[in-house]
Amino acid sequence: MRNVREVLRDWEAVIGLEVHTELTTLKTKMFCDCRLSHDDPPNTNVCPVCLGMPGALPVPNERAIEAIVMAGIATDCQIQRRSYFYRKHYFYPDMSKNYQTTQGPVAFCMHGHLDLEVTGQGAEERPEFTVEKAAGGSYVVPIRILRIHMEEDAAKMVHVGGTEGRITSASESLIDYNRCGTPLIELVTEPDLRTPEEARLFMEQLRQTFRTLGISDCSLENGSMRCDGNVSIRRRGDERLGTKTEMKNLNSFKALHDALAYEICRQAEVLEEGGVVCQETRHWEPSRRRTVVMRAKETSDDYRMYPDPDLAPFDLSDEFIERCRARVPELPLAKRDRYVADYGLKRADAAQIASNPAVAAIFEEVVVAVAKDVIPTVANVVVNLLPATRAVTAAQVASLADLLANNTITFAAAREVLETVDGTDANPETVVDERGMRQSTDTDALKTTVDEVLIRCADQVRQYREGNRRVIGFLVGQCMKASHGTGNPKLFNQLLRERLKG
Amino acid sequence: MAGFDQLGARAIAAGVAAGDFSASEVARAALDAIEAREPKIQAFLQVSAGLALKAAAATDARRAAGEELGLLAGVPVAFKDNMHLLGTRTTCASLMLEHYESPFTATCVRRMLDAGATPMGKTNMDEFAFGSSTESSAFHRTYNPWDITCVPGGSSGGSAAAVAAGEVTLALGSDTGGSIRQPASFCGVVGMKPTYGVVSRYGVVAFGSSLDQVGPFGRSVADVALAMDALVAAGRDPFDSTSQEVPAGFLAHLEASVEGMRVGIMPDLMGHEALTPEVRAALDDARVALGDQGVEVVEVDLPHMASSIAAYYAIGPSEAFSNLARFDGVRFGYQQPGCTTLAEQTALSRAYGFGAEAKRRQMLGAYLLAAGVYDKYYYPAQQVRTLITSDYRRAFARCDAIMLPAAPTTAWCFGEVSDPMQMYASDLFTISCNIAGNGGVCVPVGLGADTGMPIGVQLQGPAFQDHKLLRMARALERGLEESGRIKPGSVAPAFAGKGGELA
Repeated sequence: MRNVREVLRDWEAVIGLEVHTELTTLKTKMFCDCRLSHDDPPNTNVCPVCLGMPGALPVPNERAIEAIVMAGIATDCQIQRRSYFYRKHYFYPDMSKNYQTTQGPVAFCMHGHLDLEVTGQGAEERPEFTVEKAAGGSYVVPIRILRIHMEEDAAKMVHVGGTEGRITSASESLIDYNRCGTPLIELVTEPDLRTPEEARLFMEQLRQTFRTLGISDCSLENGSMRCDGNVSIRRRGDERLGTKTEMKNLNSFKALHDALAYEICRQAEVLEEGGVVCQETRHWEPSRRRTVVMRAKETSDDYRMYPDPDLAPFDLSDEFIERCRARVPELPLAKRDRYVADYGLKRADAAQIASNPAVAAIFEEVVVAVAKDVIPTVANVVVNLLPATRAVTAAQVASLADLLANNTITFAAAREVLETVDGTDANPETVVDERGMRQSTDTDALKTTVDEVLIRCADQVRQYREGNRRVIGFLVGQCMKASHGTGNPKLFNQLLRERLKG
Repeated sequence: MAGFDQLGARAIAAGVAAGDFSASEVARAALDAIEAREPKIQAFLQVSAGLALKAAAATDARRAAGEELGLLAGVPVAFKDNMHLLGTRTTCASLMLEHYESPFTATCVRRMLDAGATPMGKTNMDEFAFGSSTESSAFHRTYNPWDITCVPGGSSGGSAAAVAAGEVTLALGSDTGGSIRQPASFCGVVGMKPTYGVVSRYGVVAFGSSLDQVGPFGRSVADVALAMDALVAAGRDPFDSTSQEVPAGFLAHLEASVEGMRVGIMPDLMGHEALTPEVRAALDDARVALGDQGVEVVEVDLPHMASSIAAYYAIGPSEAFSNLARFDGVRFGYQQPGCTTLAEQTALSRAYGFGAEAKRRQMLGAYLLAAGVYDKYYYPAQQVRTLITSDYRRAFARCDAIMLPAAPTTAWCFGEVSDPMQMYASDLFTISCNIAGNGGVCVPVGLGADTGMPIGVQLQGPAFQDHKLLRMARALERGLEESGRIKPGSVAPAFAGKGGELA
């Protein structure tokens, strides 16, 4: 098969996403007071309501409504003053009432959008003639959001015995209703995405947004954020939509990207060989890097949707909506732009820091505590060192940045110091002193090291002198190693060049 | 001393409070009456003697401790078997739930118990409340205490019959399209369907969620008012998001004058061809009685009322299909043994568990909600609902209550009405009230000249004007009593005093 970049020169992919997000930061379920939890023993957080017992009635969780309204505001949606819950019927034991309480044609949030900024290699998936690209190849596209609606999650089922963990061949099926009734918001995009990279970025940006709102932990791995991808392709210039397939099991950003890329190529191959694409649901197999048919969708299911008579229509007041709006914090893109404008950060660094609310919080605490000229070093630490840590405090980051900025320690030493203080309240400077990690600026001592290294590395010296200047990096590394990391790499570099000139 | 069935709820509560008799004595008398009368009536699916004696003993202990007693201290009450009461089964008169133990106590039941009532048991009904005669119960018939060859009405037939036969003083029923008012009419008792939202539905197995409403049966308007006070005293129920805050004081204002209040009648309906002459005569009597009490009679019109049955049989079955979808044999209820697939188990469990009428309504609902069909029936039915509601609004601008028959005839004999369409049509006068969500109450007017069977007249009031509605009902009762047409509080003669002596 050709790769997706080539295929997309001849074919246009039309991609839409359905993203389910569990509101994991809430305390209780959507329609009852049962506790939300991911790891309690099965069927311990259940009650007559979420077990669908006869006589039980739903009472909506106002916190969940607040969360979805905040999600809508953050994605530029129109918040509907009046909306309804609907019942969606299907007979399957993961939904205890045999209907799911969800929303009908009018969702709490309608018609929003997110602006996607596609940069780097990923931007190359989109042919130049389809979009206006900046000098570096990056481009911005608006992705429309059709709706975000509120619903309840289903129970978890485990099928024992048989093959593939599917109910049809199982010897028995176990149901854990702990998850049943978990508040879930489903976001549906318009089919505006054109490349797998755009889809991946959209998901990433959505995840950052929801995490910044604090409405979910958005774990693709644990399934608190789940994504289905719909894709069809058509010849460049063709107006008619092709037949779409739906992709499941996209439980990582990479899976989302790779499954869509595979599927686009597969569909192109089918069509180019004169075949037809069937409307079907396909399962991504990450180990074999391919999608396989789960079920054909020849007719659409009839869910017999109708307004839930147990739940009165929702009339959201202006006060309620404004209260939600006031609770929406600064979002990642705004944060990124502010970091660039106020602190002179590189756009990519600013974006990375802004994307994670916990990291951004540390960054902001540190920048107000350090001198202005240390801020680039702070950003460097936050971008390159912080992601590997578990519990580092702002004070520790500030101290470390100071040590780096005034050349007291090397970057390699900084990494080690951070590892040491991670999870403790130790002061990085103390660690540096205890371990004798202060960089030597004693030029004589450094010269001795340089000379030793030059004698040992005669081959590299010859290569350098023959014109291979890049070998200097290796020699600096050898000097650093010989000085046990206490030498200043810039000084070593300078001294080496001087010596090699002669 | 007299039989307990000669006493109203207020008299029993007062007697228990005064120490004239104990709650335990009343409970034993009621159990005694039930034992003596049940063989002929069969109003109960389950008599909860243990719970009754325990509750009565607790009431007596409270009195002994000098604690204040509730409104219904020691009053024997029965509950329709679609209401949960811990310690009893809730079968909905269905094989599907034959052995189903109540998982919790319904709010309406809890409130009666909190007021000191003694729970005597669970009463028979049409299966899942689908019917108007209690004949669709999967377990047995219930017999009309006025003539045991006749049906008690339905679907709350057991509750109506138990009160009429003097087995209990009060009972709760549920009314989706007339299921309280019609059996009240057939059994000669007072039955009230409050405005939708007045009584919590939490713990009542749903039939049509937008139509269902719980209400009391009693042998006098005063007893029904007292029960209403107990049901609303604790405010709105946080477990039913459609329930509303309603002030108590039903009994307190019951005797207030109705001078100058207006009752609306619909001349066309009064002459409706389905009405038997004796029902028509009863309506005339009621009009005269209200006039005697100073109520002015005005003519009103509900132009879309004729469409209410069609709307009801689109909305009701649709909601029923949805509400009963949970009975699949997986978690509760009947489970067909030996099935090899989930689909087989679901299908066979439902095939066995549901009776013919329950199947008919669910299949109808499944059809009505199907893609393409929904727009043809369910959606227009909701539009008709809006029209009927505004009809009422216009009518109530001109009057305080509307008078209607509760049923076109007196109770029919077993097997007499077997065509479902004919059975559905008998709900004509009660259904529009559920469609609009208003309150309605049925008051006995006396016995029909031709059949000798009880006839009730229905009063319907505007939403959340149930206090005023009951005041009007009491005025009607008072007027009829003064003219000697009825004697409030009386038990069906064949059963009065049979067992149930207060020792």
